[in-house]
Amino acid sequence: MAESFRKVLKSDKFIITAEIGPVKGTNVQKMIDNIKILKDKVDALNVTDNQSAVMRYPSLGTCLLIKEQGGEPIFQITCRDRNRLSIQADLLFAYSRGIENVLCLTGDSLKMGDHSEAKQVYDIDSVHLIQLVHTLNSGKDLSGNNLDGGVDFCIGASATPSADPIEPQLIKYEKKIKAGIDFVQTQAVYDLDELKRFVNYSRNINRSVKILAGIVLLVSARMAKWMNENIPGIFVPQDFIDELAEMPKGEELSKGIEIAGKLIRKILDEKICDGVHIMAIGKEEKVPDILKAAGILKV
Amino acid sequence: MIGQTKKPIEEIIEYLDGKKKIVIYGCGGCATVFHTGGEPEVKEMADILTKNGKEVLATVTPPFGEFTCYAPWSKQRMSSCKSQIEECDAVLMLCCGDGLQVVREYVLENEFGLNKNIYPGTNPVGHMGGGPVLFKEKCIQCGECELGRLCGICPMTQCAKGLLNGPCGGTRKDGKCEVNPDNDCAWVLIYKRLKELGELDKMQEIMPPKDWSKMQRPRELEVEPLSLE
Repeated sequence: MAESFRKVLKSDKFIITAEIGPVKGTNVQKMIDNIKILKDKVDALNVTDNQSAVMRYPSLGTCLLIKEQGGEPIFQITCRDRNRLSIQADLLFAYSRGIENVLCLTGDSLKMGDHSEAKQVYDIDSVHLIQLVHTLNSGKDLSGNNLDGGVDFCIGASATPSADPIEPQLIKYEKKIKAGIDFVQTQAVYDLDELKRFVNYSRNINRSVKILAGIVLLVSARMAKWMNENIPGIFVPQDFIDELAEMPKGEELSKGIEIAGKLIRKILDEKICDGVHIMAIGKEEKVPDILKAAGILKV
Repeated sequence: MIGQTKKPIEEIIEYLDGKKKIVIYGCGGCATVFHTGGEPEVKEMADILTKNGKEVLATVTPPFGEFTCYAPWSKQRMSSCKSQIEECDAVLMLCCGDGLQVVREYVLENEFGLNKNIYPGTNPVGHMGGGPVLFKEKCIQCGECELGRLCGICPMTQCAKGLLNGPCGGTRKDGKCEVNPDNDCAWVLIYKRLKELGELDKMQEIMPPKDWSKMQRPRELEVEPLSLE
């Protein structure tokens, strides 16, 4: 993963990113182990930012760990916990330490997490955040002051191809493209026709935005059902749930890996989009197995 | 209006610990509508306090429409029981925090020159509209109303994240909000309404970041006084 992610985006390569979920605490060894496992098998590693509004080791700190291990981090930054000053300051720090990719997100509501009594920020939204990074890239801060030493971030956003209703989401996504993004990493998609429709929509607006389909590793039928019921914008088809449910106890994960592998293979073979973003939540060490199941990583 | 709920009586009794003589002041405005400080609630509170060993020196119940937060009115109203206020150990306010602070500063301190304990009997929960049964928070008083650009629906209030450029990924299938499934997603409402109005192109415009300096507290206004004659 020596190459910069920006360079990978400009190539014709099938792009693969994965996700590192920070720990709650300072015991970072497990994360470092996962980073070591993944850094040369994927093109970049996203780091979630207090994911699901649960307080954890910071996204920025984990990005530094990735840099220390010679990996290429994507700094996920949400608008939930920081105002525009704090976001800009964190971005300056990130760039000064060699972190060059940023994924601009709104952020899960505090109500979803473990600090529901905190004051939420949302000073700006994800579209503004994209604009903010462009402003910093131009050598100015949001108030128009010159930066002493600038930044040059590669900018990403998220989108939800399986959202229902989809139209308001697509209008928002179009704004993200207009604000200027280099890549999009989608919410989990299991219905590839929905993914195709999304890719078509995105490319009609701007062909140069690289699209990475989100693949969430299904670890059990129970997890799949839970996501269907509780996470808007994720729809796991019944076939997959049945396949997982039919597995003997303890072997559901291997089926989940197989499903993820097949999805990735299909996306690659049919050239549906430019790559995949693998979210193996809590099972990061299984990403190589998913890549093997997809026939991308040689066994 | 200022939506409000009654404080737990235990909390009020705790405030009044060691205070014997009490004056209760309600409100003919919002607190009457929300049944927190109208005439029945003031009377009910007087009974409760009496049962708890307090001596209620006076109860003040402004008529419907008379807001306690309007200083000229509360000055007039409290002048009628000035001696009881001078004698009391504490004033209990059955109104919002505006009313309480107006009475404390403009009436008790500035008008009467009194430094009295004053306590709240309600929890204000936001600027609300609707009724007569269901009230909803509709406006955060941001200082620069955006409703003209947003077809009359304020996402800063209606959206759980106050987003200005469209929905987050948390819109549920039924068009409700992930954060509170009882609430409609503001951006689904805005989308539907703009579509009906044939103005969907308005949703495609990027709204700039909000100028929150217009919400820098405390804000104040000077106006020409109303004639109360």
